[in-house]
Amino acid sequence: MLQTIFYGLTIGGILYIISIGLSLTFGAMGIVNFSHGLIYAIGAYTIYAVMAKMGINFILGAVIAVLVSIPFSYIIEKYVIRRLYGESIDYAIIATYAVLLIGVDAIKWIWGASPLPISDPVGISIQFLTMEMPLYRLIIIGLTLLILIGLSLFFKKTIIGKIIIAGLGDREAVRGLGIRLDKYFAIIFILGSALAALGGVLYSPISTLHPYMGFHILILCFAVVIVGGMGNLRGTAIAAFSLGLVMAITGRIWGPAAEAMVYVVMAFVLMIRPIET
Amino acid sequence: MADTILLAKGVTKRFDGLTAVHNVTYEVKAGETAGIIGPNGAGKSTFFNLLTGFFIPDEGQIFYLGEEITRTPSYERVNRGIVRTFQLVSVFDTMTVLENMMLSRIRQGRDYRSKRRFFFKSVYHPDLVDECLQALDTLGIADKADIKTSDLSYGEKRELEIVIALSLNPKVLLLDEPFAGLSPIEIGHISRVVQQLSGKFAILIVEHKISKLVELVERLCVLNEGTLVCSGTPGKVICDPQVRECYWGKEETA
Repeated sequence: MLQTIFYGLTIGGILYIISIGLSLTFGAMGIVNFSHGLIYAIGAYTIYAVMAKMGINFILGAVIAVLVSIPFSYIIEKYVIRRLYGESIDYAIIATYAVLLIGVDAIKWIWGASPLPISDPVGISIQFLTMEMPLYRLIIIGLTLLILIGLSLFFKKTIIGKIIIAGLGDREAVRGLGIRLDKYFAIIFILGSALAALGGVLYSPISTLHPYMGFHILILCFAVVIVGGMGNLRGTAIAAFSLGLVMAITGRIWGPAAEAMVYVVMAFVLMIRPIET
Repeated sequence: MADTILLAKGVTKRFDGLTAVHNVTYEVKAGETAGIIGPNGAGKSTFFNLLTGFFIPDEGQIFYLGEEITRTPSYERVNRGIVRTFQLVSVFDTMTVLENMMLSRIRQGRDYRSKRRFFFKSVYHPDLVDECLQALDTLGIADKADIKTSDLSYGEKRELEIVIALSLNPKVLLLDEPFAGLSPIEIGHISRVVQQLSGKFAILIVEHKISKLVELVERLCVLNEGTLVCSGTPGKVICDPQVRECYWGKEETA
């Protein structure tokens, strides 16, 4: 059981890293961003490319993958997201979904449709009581905690963080202070996207790469964001770890139901949550 | 035109076929305190949003100090001196009162620009903090500088919102229903603040109830169904038969 919890925390950590950008984009800008899944896939495929084709080690590869994602997210923000501020949410869904579809086809064109594996970059397991824990998964949990603390400090202590938190509460009021909020939203969009790319990097050794991996993770992340509350940073963290544990525990009892249970929890949360007017 | 600070010329705004503001021409003169009243849904807040850049008009133009600003973004209008408050009080509940004040100062005062502008604390220059505390003191809430804004009463939040607006150095201050949701004592307090500010810069107040504005403003306009019905001194406007019909007439029949 302990091992199941440990696996759940790993999945939860990765879900948190990916979901935070999605949550901020929705909370701050009111945009449902499907292209987030593409950035996640770009992170994963870039680490594959630099490791398998160029022989670069995992850590350097991870840094390159995150850096590579930045110009992509910059272009998406500048030419798609920025034009959707204040528009109907339907336009945002269609436009960002289109970006995701274009990206998936581009991935198929470059790397093919077959799944690609990445081996565990650490390859060491640690003996704890009666079970073996892969060190790589421990590193993921540690890294997630670091990101969680780092983001918490960022939003509490920095000017950008304060403005974003204020903007999450009341966009109009921030504009009323003479602050150009879209500039700060762009920064936070790129930060959230870079984290999604990092999520793709971290998840690839415990999963397999395939062109539709962005779709798959996106649906899970939407569940995290809905359960945690859109734009709610603390809620996103709690929801990600809780749903990660739900997946791992359900998977241990009956494998096929692991992901379905995430949506059952999401539906339950939606049923009991008071409707905001 | 010389002393006109803000001018809306034939502005119209439609939402999905509904005309919220129709061909309104209105000017605010430098240093005057003016008011706009109108029943609910008359288009007052929409007109305010057009003046402050939160909406762009479908037709017409807006001028500020003789320069066209019809499409100028709201944040830039604030930086030029068109400052507003909101109908629903807009302060940031998760922050302390002082943090709310400092947030309004982030992009102000080049003198305070330090190389370490990344951290929020870098905004906390001692002179600036003193200035903010003094500003809070004018409304008697300086002792609450370090408490969470969510712990303030609604009236205190409204006062804080006005202090923040004043810290943005307005040339024209637009108050959107500043008395909404306040107790009679709080209304009296805010009225005194507005009276003290009168003459220092132009003030435009949008209000639902005329009684609160009569003593405060020099000039009153009535907006009804998106159209400017009447304009003049409060005394003249109150006696206007058209205003009585569109405004009080509705209240009597209600």
